[in-house]
Amino acid sequence: MNLTSSPSPTSGARAKHPTSTRFTRALGIAALVGIGWLVLFGLFLSPNDRVQKTGVRILYIHVPSAWLAYLAFGVTGLSSAAYLWKRTRNLQWDRLAGASAEVGVLFMGITLVSGSLWGRISWGQFWTWDARLTTTAFLFVTYIGYLAVRDLGGTHQQRAKRSAVMALLAMLEVPLVHFSVKWWRPLHQNETVEKGKLNGLMLFSLFIGLISFTLLYVWLVIHRQRVLALNDQVDDRGLDLALAARREES
Amino acid sequence: MSEPTDSDLNLAPREVVPTAARGKKKPWFAYAVLVLALGAGGLFVAKFLTNAIDYYCNVDEIGHKSGCDVGRNIRIQGVVDKGSISKAGSVTNFTVTFHGASMPVVLSSKPTGLFQECIPVVITGKVVGADDGTQYFEGNEVLVKHSEDYDKENKDRVATANGEAAACSQKG
Repeated sequence: MNLTSSPSPTSGARAKHPTSTRFTRALGIAALVGIGWLVLFGLFLSPNDRVQKTGVRILYIHVPSAWLAYLAFGVTGLSSAAYLWKRTRNLQWDRLAGASAEVGVLFMGITLVSGSLWGRISWGQFWTWDARLTTTAFLFVTYIGYLAVRDLGGTHQQRAKRSAVMALLAMLEVPLVHFSVKWWRPLHQNETVEKGKLNGLMLFSLFIGLISFTLLYVWLVIHRQRVLALNDQVDDRGLDLALAARREES
Repeated sequence: MSEPTDSDLNLAPREVVPTAARGKKKPWFAYAVLVLALGAGGLFVAKFLTNAIDYYCNVDEIGHKSGCDVGRNIRIQGVVDKGSISKAGSVTNFTVTFHGASMPVVLSSKPTGLFQECIPVVITGKVVGADDGTQYFEGNEVLVKHSEDYDKENKDRVATANGEAAACSQKG
């Protein structure tokens, strides 16, 4: 799988879909089918919970999106480390980090919104400042800040270096969020899946959510990473044109 | 190529050509987002330090643990006792228990969410003394603390009833 495939704009059919390949199209279809299954199982086939009744169905969106956000921020951190390490230094890692962070922020946003709706049903309130919710909100704005730092200007290398350092620092927050329910006393519930408190069709529906959201994440990151590569190419060509213009003047 | 003469030199300012060093977006937008993110982050850290670390006191800690003092605005956590919920006008009365310690609650707001018997709740308010020397919790808000347990509705009526009985008798 070549994440950085950026076909030439003049290469016939691929120019019509400059970020897609046969693999990504298959991946997109698989993600779409998975989401269809998630809708079927999450909304119709899985049973109501004894206490939460139908409100439990938010679980099948909330938990997979949170998991994907963790994964996305983990990939951002690892890609940033790969960029900072001299032996593997390549802008492809930086673009992968940026693309993954963007998708991670999207999933984290879904986590916060779905959690807020679930909180209203279950707790009786959209939001409260407990440890899990507060650390999650902090993680969310940290990565929004990371994306802003990527856009502060400078050369691609400057962008890559400063954002890689920030990504490594930000990644330290992920375990803080995950273990906040153990380390402090939140209103948010403790781990469910790890403790085997979910089973049958409920667990299966959650599993479908995890698979389909993971496929969606990979599909989004590949496309977004290729768009970022094309953006960098546009910037580089602008520089090449400027240099050529100066040479012609002399 | 012949040497340029003075008359060939174009001294007019050159048009700025975009280069790799310039992003397409205006940096001020990124700076504005960064400032907002920093502001929000600061707020969340402040909220975490003042509110989130000790989100509540368990009922058995009232009057014993630092920060869980009588007469102070706190949140308490306990399981709603079976058969203890009653309503009188806009006030809801019930009792919460945790680790063997119980506390009567007088709630001035309407309970929302999944509020019911045998469910863990977090109540905001303060412990006050009654005329007869006993204490009760004057609550103004109740939040339901749902456990990590999930179970199919009506899977097995006997098991459900047993589970409810166990949950209520455990009381944390």
